[in-house]
Parts: sequence; structure tokens; C-alpha cells
Amino acid sequence: MTELQAEQGAQALEVSHEAKTRRNRDALIALAVFVLLALLPAVFSSKLLLDFVIRCAAYGLFATSLNLLVGYTGLISFGHGMFFGLGAYGFGLMMQKTGVPVPVAFVATLAITFVVALVIGAICVRLKEIYFAFVTLAFQMLIHSTILSWVSLTGGDQGLRGGIPRPPFLGIDLSNQLHLYVASCALLVIGLFLMHRIAQSPFGYTLRMIRDNATRASFIGIDVWRAKLTIFVLAALFASTGGIIMALFVSGAYPEFAYWTISGEGIFINMLGGVTTFLGPMVGTVLLLILNDTVTRLTDYHGLVLGIVILFFAIGLRKGLMDFVVEWYAQRRNGDGERR
Amino acid sequence: MTRTRKPGVSRRATLAIMGAGAVSIATPFGTPWVARAQAKTIKIGMPTILSGRVAQLGTSSRNAVMLEIEKVNAAGGLAGRTIEMVIRDSKGQPQEAARVARELVNTDGCEILIDAEASSGAFAVHEVARDLGVLCLHTNSETSALTADPKQHIPNAFRTARQGVHDSIVGGSYAATIAKAKGLKKWATCSPDYAYGRDTTAEYVTYLKRFAPDIEIISESWPKLFQPDYTEVVTKILQARPQALYSCLWGGDLTSYIDQANIYALFSQMEVFAVNMADYTALTVVKNLPKGIHSGNRYIKTYPATPENAAWGDAYKAKYNEYPTNWSWENATAIMLLAEASKKANSADGKKIAEALRGLKIKSPFGADGTVTMRAEDQTLVGYAIGWGTTIPQEPYVPQVQAGDWKTIFELEAEWKKSKGYT
Repeated sequence: MTELQAEQGAQALEVSHEAKTRRNRDALIALAVFVLLALLPAVFSSKLLLDFVIRCAAYGLFATSLNLLVGYTGLISFGHGMFFGLGAYGFGLMMQKTGVPVPVAFVATLAITFVVALVIGAICVRLKEIYFAFVTLAFQMLIHSTILSWVSLTGGDQGLRGGIPRPPFLGIDLSNQLHLYVASCALLVIGLFLMHRIAQSPFGYTLRMIRDNATRASFIGIDVWRAKLTIFVLAALFASTGGIIMALFVSGAYPEFAYWTISGEGIFINMLGGVTTFLGPMVGTVLLLILNDTVTRLTDYHGLVLGIVILFFAIGLRKGLMDFVVEWYAQRRNGDGERR
Repeated sequence: MTRTRKPGVSRRATLAIMGAGAVSIATPFGTPWVARAQAKTIKIGMPTILSGRVAQLGTSSRNAVMLEIEKVNAAGGLAGRTIEMVIRDSKGQPQEAARVARELVNTDGCEILIDAEASSGAFAVHEVARDLGVLCLHTNSETSALTADPKQHIPNAFRTARQGVHDSIVGGSYAATIAKAKGLKKWATCSPDYAYGRDTTAEYVTYLKRFAPDIEIISESWPKLFQPDYTEVVTKILQARPQALYSCLWGGDLTSYIDQANIYALFSQMEVFAVNMADYTALTVVKNLPKGIHSGNRYIKTYPATPENAAWGDAYKAKYNEYPTNWSWENATAIMLLAEASKKANSADGKKIAEALRGLKIKSPFGADGTVTMRAEDQTLVGYAIGWGTTIPQEPYVPQVQAGDWKTIFELEAEWKKSKGYT
């Protein structure tokens, strides 16, 4: 990726001063958000809030990484959940079977995801639209079936049992919920920051160009396949990180993590939050989890309620919440301008 | 992306949306959802499956729990504290089961968990119990490893359900007796293709062969879980011409299978052993229940044939207008054990109840000898009624049940544990 980025960076006409200040500003915002999140438990003692943010981190990374494919590159992946599951299983198995320190297992899991995503991506990204969607779905089902049938390793449909051991490292004890919370926040903020950098880089703009007109992109000398593959692998790494957080949260890994419903939830989150803004999926995640948690408390008919909400967004608004807010804001500003 | 300008949304609509958003954001973190009850009450949380294909698991578990809770509360509750149940749907997803269980303890203030989850969800809740140290009673998971595997063992978790390996031992020895008497040598199996189906069938066959070594399995079918059409499976079995068939299909799958196999007159051509037949979920749904299907008892009010059991089944039916399920008795047992343990400990404290539960023997309508025991060594239920019999098409459906022998069960279970490296 770096090579590609550097190459295109050199070609870019705008020189980097503005980009640099923007990067610094992003880094500052990320830091501020992290500090804010980390201070949250000091203000609210609610353990529910901590659990909620940890889950937001897992799903948020997953959904935002999916948006890199769906929103920025126009690759509608129906199988993104496989990397979520891969992260959870890779990390869980590594900790259970080898007993390596947490950071080693983390890096090793990302390395495994990298290899798997590279192979699957190399096959899939050549395909267009519906074919891409279905082949990614097929690979997801393949991984899901492998998890189900490889009982001696994965525990089959009972999942990884017996808990995930997590020896303390560098003074961080992930079996302590507060530590896990801070670690999840850190991973979320770093993940979002990196993904934002990718989206705003020349490479990110190349992706938008491929989305809008792939033929034109290849005519001006962009290796479309390579760019698509790069973003496919990168997105997989972030999804896998989400899976690792989820595995830590439930202290296990279950085949449901690699099932198509997780991919479906990712797509739904993107619809809910909107794909035209970077933070759309994150807003969608928060929205979906709040909806899920409150509706489950109130009624057994949560499916009905969630269905109505989807319909409202799909047919009523015809866009995600963030798209709606951004447009509304822009409209308002223009309106004010006219009046003045 | 096209950005056509849509007619502006009115200020009122915007305010309404923002208001709705604010409310939904505020509720989970704001004031506790259920008003903090007086210390007089004790809350018991129950994550279970209340939606989807197996919603009946959750509803019949909930019904049984509520039936028993009423009695306990009428008698003064747990050490004088009235029980309040908080029951929530996990949708059958383990990550939701874990989340709901944590929420019940951390936010709703539940001091005890009744884990009415199936298979993987139970293991997820088990991890929550390990983390939070809260007293937890597993009521629906029959996977032997949950309590048999010492790696799973935690002092605060108990199982009040049957156990797969017990069923296999009793089923295998019963079938072997019939096989010897009738000379059934060629067997076929037909079970759902997931962990429960595969493991249960393998264990059953192991014990069948142990008791009747000259048996041969000539055909295996593994239909998918919730498969709608069994024609292919039925014809495959008929072509193999076995003398006997074993199946651990259950619920809707079993009833569809029987309805479809009836068309081919399968049941008149071989002896059928269906462990999950004798449960009202299957018995009352099948269109033409064939005579003479061998089945293990799941829950029927006529076995054990005691007035207590019949009364319990009738009380349930009177209240909910349907018969209890296998899940019902398992959940009712959890509450009965809780109440008795709390009485013995004279406390509603989780740790003290756990202490009292170990080795506790209580009177029970579901006991093989009128009692059930929470075995101390692995904290799982033993001594419950377990047996096999044959069906007739109308009530009482399985008139004569041959009881399993708990002495044999204990011996073979100990052997099985050793072979698995658990002891």
C-alpha cells in the first residue's frame, strides 16, 4: 500500500502542507476523543456503558471497514463477516492453544487475516457487482462451514469453549473490564484514524475514482485490480480487529461470528448511518446497538421494530442518518446565505 | 452519487427526529429501567431464546419458571425475599446471550442467573458467570462437556438439565435389548447435521454396539437442521432396507419427517428408535402418529407415573393451555432446587445457595424415585426420570415406559469420563 500511496502522492498536484495540517488536526481530534472516552468511566459508573462502548468498538471497526469497500470503492461485499469471525477465532485459538502474550496473538491474527484476505481478494476483486457480492458470500459460507465441521480445532457449532485466557502484559490486564474498555477504545480510535487517513489519502481518492468509473481509472494508468485488492485486504484487517475485540468481550468465539448475518448487520449499519460520510457507519453502529438493546428490553417482537426502522430509512429517508444530517446542514447554510 | 435537492424537511419533523434520537440515546444510560425495587425483592435474570425457529424453547422455559416462582413467592420467597424474574430474549445468538446476561447482572441488579440458552449460548453465559462470579443455573444445555469437562468447571455454575451421555447409555442399552430379542442386526441412522445430532448419534451407536456387539450400521443420513423436505432421506433409508432406524431429529423436524415417511409406510417396514419422540412438542403435532415408535421420555405427564407428575403437567396445561416440554421440567427443577437450597442455607446469597446446592437432594415430580440430586462433584443433575417406551396414536401416547437404571448410568458415565480424559 505504501508504495502505491507514495507513487500517487508524488503525482498529486497539491503539495503536502495542507495535507499535513489536516493530518495533525485529525490526530488531535482522535487523541481528544480517546481521552474523552477513557475518562467516561470516571464520570458514569455504569458497567452497561462500558459494555456498550466495547461492543461499539467491535461493530464500529467492522462496519467502517466495510464502508471502505462499499462506500469508497463500490465493492458491495456480502462476506465481510468472515474476517470478523476469522479475527475472533484466530485470536481465541492462539490464546487458548499457544499461550503467547496478547500482543503477539493480536499481530499473528492480523497476519493470518492478511494472508487469507489476500487469497480470497485476489480471486474476488476481479468480479463485478453482483458476482463480487455472491462470491464473497460463498467464501464466507465456506469459512463458516469449515468452522462448523472442524470440530477438533474450533469446537464446531458449540464454539470455542472454556474462556479465552488473557495474561496481563505491560500492566494491562484484559480480564479487568475497565482495562478491556480502555484497550477497546484505543483500538477503535486508532482504527478509525487510520481508516480516515486511508480514505483521505491520494489512494483513497483513487478508490473513489474506481468506484465512479473504473474504465477511466485504468485508462489513466491505475492498476484497478491492485488498488481493489489493497483496500480489500486493509478492510479485512480492521474487520478482524473488530472480531478480536468481540472475542475478548464474550471470552469465546462462536460460528455466528462468521455467519452471513454478521455481514448483513454490517450492511444494515451502513444503510442506517449512511455511506457518503466517513463517520456514517460509526453513527449507524451506535444507533443499531441502542435500538437493539432498548427494543430487546421492551418487547420480544424486536424483529418487527427493527424491520420498520429499516423500512423507514430505506423507503422514507432513502439514505443513512449521517447523509441526511449533512445534506440538511448544507441546505440550511445555503438557505441562510441566500437570505443574507 | 447523485445529490438531487429534495424538498426541505420541515423544522417540526427535524425536531421530532432529534427528539426521538435523544430519548433513545438517553434511556439505556439514564435512570435504571426497572425502578429499583426494595431490598425485599431478589431479582433473577434469565436470558433465553424467545424469537425465531426455537422460540418454543424460551416460552416453555419461561412458563415453567413462572409457574414455580408463584409457588415459591406464595411461600415467602427466597429467605423472605420475593423473587422478581427479568426474562430477556437473546435471539439465539451467543454474543447477545453474553451481553444480555451481563446487562441483567450489572444493570438490572439480578443476583442469580437462570441460563435457559441452548448449546453455544449456554457456553457464552457460562463465561459471563465465570467472569462475574454470579450464581448461574444452566437449564437447557444438555451438552455433556458443560459440566463433565473439568476445564469448564466453576464453583458458581450448575446444570439442572439432562445430559447427553446419560441419554445415550439408557437409549443404547434399551435398544440392544430389543435388538437381541427381535434379531435386529442391520441399522440405519438419520439425525440432524450439527453438533447435537452428530455427537448424540455417535454416543448412542457406541453404547448400542457395546450392549449388542453384532450390530452393523448400513446407512447414515444427515439432513440439515430445519430441512423442509425429507423425501430423499426417506427413500435412501428404504433402499438400504435396514431392520431398525435410529434418529435424534426433534421438534418440527421430527414431525415433518414422520409425516413424510408415513407416505412411504416406512414405519411398518422397520423398528424406529426416535429419542425425542416422547415430548408433547412432537406427539401432539404429528398428523398420524404411528404405533410402536420407540422413544426416550422427554417430558410426558404419565412418566414417572406418579400423582405429583400428573398434577404438575395438568397445572401447567391449565395455566398455559398447552402441555409442558422437556425444557419446562428442566427449568422448573432449577427453581425448585433454588428454593430448597435457599431454605437450607437460610439465605438468598448466591455463594451460600451454591454451597447448599452441592449434593442437595430434593423431592421432585420428575425424579426416577421421586427425588433428584444435584451431584456435588460436577454440579449437574442426576436421578431424574429417564426411560424408553413405545408410542400409541392417542393419549397417553407412551403408555409403558421402561425405566433406565441409574446404577448402570453411573458406572458407564465414569468410564466415559475416563475415556475422554476428564477424570
